[in-house]
Amino acid sequence: MQSDSIKRAIPWMLSLAVLALLPVTGLLRGSFLSHVLVMILLNASMAQAWNIIGGYAGQVSFGHSVFFGIGAYGAAYAVTNLKMTPYPGALAGAVLAAVLAVIIGYPTFKLKGHYFAIATFAIVEVFHRLFMIWEDVGGAVGLDYPILKDGWRNFSWSRSKVGYFYGALILFGIIFSLVRALEKARFGYYLKAIREGQETAESLGVDARRYKLAAMALSAAMAAMCGAFFAQYNYRVDPSMVLSLDMSMRFVLITILGGIGTLWGPLLGAAILIPLQEYTRAYLAKLGPGVDLVIFGLIIILVMQFQPKGIMGMIDAARKRRRKLAAAGNEHEGGRQ
Amino acid sequence: MQRKLMLVVMAVLLVLGAGAQEKIIKIGTLFPLTGPVATAGQRCTAAVETIVDIINGVYPNLDLPIAKKAGLLDGYKIVLVKADHQGKPDVAKSEAERLYEQEKVFAIIGCYNSAATKPASAVAERLQKIFMCGASSSAALTEREFKYFFRLAPTDRIESYEFVEWFQELNKSRNANIRTAAVIYENTEFGKHAADEAKAASAKAGIKIIADVPFTPGATNLNSEIQKLKAANADALFGAVLGADYSLMVRTMKQANWKPKIAINYCSGYQDPNIAQQLGQDGWYFMGSAGYTPEFGMRFMKAVAPVEEYFKKKVNVPFDSNSIQEAVAMYVLALAIEKAGSLDTEKVAEVLRTTTFDSPLSMGGKVQFEIPGGQNIKAQSVISQIQNGKYITVYPYEYKDGDAIFPMPGW
Repeated sequence: MQSDSIKRAIPWMLSLAVLALLPVTGLLRGSFLSHVLVMILLNASMAQAWNIIGGYAGQVSFGHSVFFGIGAYGAAYAVTNLKMTPYPGALAGAVLAAVLAVIIGYPTFKLKGHYFAIATFAIVEVFHRLFMIWEDVGGAVGLDYPILKDGWRNFSWSRSKVGYFYGALILFGIIFSLVRALEKARFGYYLKAIREGQETAESLGVDARRYKLAAMALSAAMAAMCGAFFAQYNYRVDPSMVLSLDMSMRFVLITILGGIGTLWGPLLGAAILIPLQEYTRAYLAKLGPGVDLVIFGLIIILVMQFQPKGIMGMIDAARKRRRKLAAAGNEHEGGRQ
Repeated sequence: MQRKLMLVVMAVLLVLGAGAQEKIIKIGTLFPLTGPVATAGQRCTAAVETIVDIINGVYPNLDLPIAKKAGLLDGYKIVLVKADHQGKPDVAKSEAERLYEQEKVFAIIGCYNSAATKPASAVAERLQKIFMCGASSSAALTEREFKYFFRLAPTDRIESYEFVEWFQELNKSRNANIRTAAVIYENTEFGKHAADEAKAASAKAGIKIIADVPFTPGATNLNSEIQKLKAANADALFGAVLGADYSLMVRTMKQANWKPKIAINYCSGYQDPNIAQQLGQDGWYFMGSAGYTPEFGMRFMKAVAPVEEYFKKKVNVPFDSNSIQEAVAMYVLALAIEKAGSLDTEKVAEVLRTTTFDSPLSMGGKVQFEIPGGQNIKAQSVISQIQNGKYITVYPYEYKDGDAIFPMPGW
């Protein structure tokens, strides 16, 4: 049994090792490509964090930018106001986000379906307003990083993206490994059961509220870690950058595009959406204002129209088609004999 | 024999061709080309483009040194690489990195929104590359003591003191009795700083702030904000309200049937000629700072009008205070490159730090950057009022086109 799980982990570990070797190949020399790769890893991690509660537990939250923002503010506050390294701030942000997720989740999980989603919308607005007037964290102006010495101590690299790439890869590795483990764990099965039918799951003895709260806390802590990375990467945080519905939509959109409730969906979604967004903005903006956004929007509409289950849905459909064809081929061969 | 000769000729041509590399200087423009202040960003880009056209071509009719020959140094043409930051600081930061590192631009001009200028110029400072800032007015930008950051526009601090000086002058000469003030501002880097400066300057002059009204930019409704202002009914109103929000503010004031004695605005929707046109008579009698108005230009900045003709062909409106500052940013950068005689960033930056430039496109005619910080200490602005659809300079008196209409007539 144990050797089975080790066997299953080998391709995953190998993939991470291959990714870790990317900087050695010189592929990251072009700064924009490395920026895009860092963004893919960060956004995949964000989407995966959301996937725990939104995909596996089936509770569609539009409030994840709040947890993301708390993580971002945690790291930025430690660096700018407390003159510390960002790590204690990021950790405190993650813990605070998990506690807040439980406080928010406790009353809102009584709501079902769309009502839960609407409540989380409102929470973003509340926190956005709160941070706008909270002068200790810079209010509307936010927190700006001073120019720091490059390196892991400050988690800051100004002349190369290799450090950020490894930082994002570690984050990605932790969050994806966690969800990989969750998929095969009892906790994961409970979440899926709740998603498929809360009443049925409860009738079988699953304490739905407890598991949903645990999933929300885990998801929020992971989102906060992503937020801390985002602040370090941009050397700045302000309420509109992180505590916005735009940011919340990013969590949801990437997961839905890639395939909600699947392990690889968030990565596929980010791998398609982020380069599309970055390259259309960078290279098509010159065609005229907004042309990039029009093309970007059209591609999303087309994908969702063609396969509402996202890219993973497309892959599954293609696999099924291939299996069907193979089966039909075998039958045909059998008929001839 | 003939074949051999052909081959030799071709080889020589190839060698010559390889030697004759295209002489170009890439300059990045980074403005909000989409989003709530897209039209302002597009005008700023067009302003830089206008100066680049003049640099690259020969325009004997223009009274600018860069117009007399084609290109800079010994025939270098400028190529603009345009980028859009969508009004978002994180996008501004990543686009600045792309422009410097991927597109290899020599310098960036931008970013209009102070909140976007801050992270983008921090990228420049880390990479030790030049960043020219035309219009962003937050005083905090030049308080960071950066070495590669150069800002043309006056700061909101300079403007605040000028506004308050104007109130005091009205109190003295017109018995205006301006004793209280209110501030309305978008809750952003720009708005917050402008409001803080307004409060500080008012406090020094003994003018009491009785209403402090922030709002979220891109608002769809300003009713409660205007009702707060109406309830306080201050003598003067400071506004730091950009783009479409400015139109909404004016129209909501009309609905609420409220006007203070004087309403004065920072670099904002007030300065936008398109918005002034859309507002029609509703926008009249409001005042604001102005680094340029066509009326002022005709009298005191005669070199601008022929340049403005080329600008108008691109965007159909004359320069406004913001777009002209971006044009000056490109112009001064070109002068610095010429004076440095090289494309060495350090040499050009040193020229920018140590030279007082003649700038016929600037109010006051000169540009000089304070070190450290990079603020143009020769930056000037006047106070204008929209009267009969025109921006009329009312203060300082040596520049005035007409008398201020005070107090503002009711709706």
